[in-house]
Amino acid sequence: MASGVGEIKVNRLAYLYTLPALTVLALVVLYPFVYNVVISFSNMNLAHFRDWRLIGFQNYLTVLKDRSFWYFFLKTVLWTALNLIFHVSIGVFLALLLNKDLKGKSFYRTILILPWAMPQYITALTWRGMFNSEYGAIPLLFERWFGISIPWMTTEWGAFTACLITNIWLGFPFMMIIALGGLQSIPDELYEAAEIDGASPWLKFRHITMPLLKPVMAPAVTLGVIWTFNNFNVVWLVSNGGEPSDTTHILVSWVYKTGFTYFRFGYAAAFSMIIFAILLIFSWNFIKRTRAVEAVY
Amino acid sequence: MRLAVGNIILAAALGLTFFSGCAKKENVIVIWHSLRPVERQVLRAALDEFARRHPGWEFGELFYEPEAARSNYIISALGGSGPALFRGANDNIGPMSELGVIMPLESFFEQATLDSFLTDPLEANTWFRGHLYQIADNIGNHLCLVYNKKLIDKPPQTMSELIEIGKKLTFDRDGDGKPDQYALVWNYIEPFFAVPFIGGFGGWIIDDSLRPTLNTPAVVQAAQLIYDLANVHKIIPLECDYEVANALFKDGLAAMIINGPWSWGTYLDAGIDIGLARIPKIDATGLWPSPAVQPMGYSVNVNLKGEKLRITLELLRYLTTSEMQLRFTRISGALPSRIDAFQSPDVQNNELVRASLEQLMVGRVLPPVTELRWIWDAMRPGYQAIFRGRETPAKAAENMQKLAEKLIRENRG
Repeated sequence: MASGVGEIKVNRLAYLYTLPALTVLALVVLYPFVYNVVISFSNMNLAHFRDWRLIGFQNYLTVLKDRSFWYFFLKTVLWTALNLIFHVSIGVFLALLLNKDLKGKSFYRTILILPWAMPQYITALTWRGMFNSEYGAIPLLFERWFGISIPWMTTEWGAFTACLITNIWLGFPFMMIIALGGLQSIPDELYEAAEIDGASPWLKFRHITMPLLKPVMAPAVTLGVIWTFNNFNVVWLVSNGGEPSDTTHILVSWVYKTGFTYFRFGYAAAFSMIIFAILLIFSWNFIKRTRAVEAVY
Repeated sequence: MRLAVGNIILAAALGLTFFSGCAKKENVIVIWHSLRPVERQVLRAALDEFARRHPGWEFGELFYEPEAARSNYIISALGGSGPALFRGANDNIGPMSELGVIMPLESFFEQATLDSFLTDPLEANTWFRGHLYQIADNIGNHLCLVYNKKLIDKPPQTMSELIEIGKKLTFDRDGDGKPDQYALVWNYIEPFFAVPFIGGFGGWIIDDSLRPTLNTPAVVQAAQLIYDLANVHKIIPLECDYEVANALFKDGLAAMIINGPWSWGTYLDAGIDIGLARIPKIDATGLWPSPAVQPMGYSVNVNLKGEKLRITLELLRYLTTSEMQLRFTRISGALPSRIDAFQSPDVQNNELVRASLEQLMVGRVLPPVTELRWIWDAMRPGYQAIFRGRETPAKAAENMQKLAEKLIRENRG
């Protein structure tokens, strides 16, 4: 304790500098977090907003007993996994192409980054219009080219797929840019040595590109998982708030709906604490693994 | 250390700039509303006029879809901010007053002023639990059958007539297997737009004890009828939300639309020769569909005080004057909420207003209670499941009732 006080005295100036940032952090992160924890144990809702009282773990039990929680949880895992698979595979594939000596490389790069540069809500609403079964471009093209009519927005899995396609389109440029940066940092000598040893392109990718790309991609994938798991905008806007019939939700869009449409604040707070716990456990494990991976360098 | 002191002074200066910016917001009065562009222009012009009389004050307005307007207002007002005035339907009053985000207004208005508002055919201003929470600028907000006179001379009077005419008015011009024109369009996936049909089958969504009445034959029959219009008679699109319906009608690709007073000005402005009529009578019951009827008006943010509150109330009085209400009537056929405006020749001789009143007379006034909020929320998923082929109307009605009861129980408990 004494050394702690002594350290503060020695580094007084440094602490003074960090004080404003700490104060702002406490106000915008810590206070809402603690408040959220408190109301997650309360019956706060539309009818009991001012006169709420603590009700223990009731909200947590309600969430965990609710079938919709488990259903949306599984859907969120599926949503996150599929998005990440496509984001990473498309992103790395395009990065590999852009890493070659292509003509008009900067033009392609600019075009491919565009989805990322556009505001998400504009993209989401545009895709929603394109999936309209009566007048949307995608159903019309599917019908013309393949002769099949897919009820994109009127069925649960059609709407889910529509959200997925939109988010894949939005998300691959990020992975592409990260992978491109990683690829450019791999020394050419390694490929030249492999070439002399007669390694095929696949072997070069398997034994040089992949291991050396891993340390760069692992944090990007962690971020990608957290962003995608919590990607409220795309799901909410493309499915118009969970349509059809509140089936097109991931956990975060459902918690928003319970909180800010149904105004079940206590329940929504408990729900969000459970989402927080899920992400905390995942990130903790993933970050630990990422550190292990860093040893490759 | 001198550097640190310098930085602290700089931070203080930045803070002062920030807070002086906040202080400036004190002189800005904003209204959140769901008015469509044509009516919004009238509101904008009114605010500009009012601003000229109040130098040093700024007046703004912001459009939100009704659902977003309510949610966003509640969230921001609970956080101590939000617009000074909120304009919307009176079914927001229950939840907003229970949450304590709007202000009781009875002490700010003289009895003579309050007496100048309509009480017949419905009470224009909204009282809830003994307090006045909303001053109306028009009444109705009810759905009517709007028809394009170029595409149809005389609107159908009964459902069977609608189906018969509808089959002629729905056609595939280019032979691609998809209709290029529909007889009727409307946002039928939204429960509010299905309510008239429930009334047409003799039912309603809430009883006098504020209990949901969704698991009834009337709800099942109404949902079945709407489902059949799309899937059996094929005179309405299979997928149709508000924007699609509106676009089709505005582009002359639909002969009729079911829509409320907020939309009529837009159609008139687009040069469509529209007529209004009652939604066709249900043959089986002999009843006219009964749309939900509500006053529309302004509520005041509970966080206001001092001079800002005074100016806001003055603005509220200004926006609800007879003269102002008549401006809206002229462009959209909206029904004024003041007795003298309602009785003026501009209103009584207006063809749209007369037709709108005809529909209003068979409508039903919705109580401004919070239970209704939960009923609307409970209806949406169950009702939409019918059109997604997930549930039968009977099962959907049962689910809607269960969810409504659950929401009421959980919230009131």
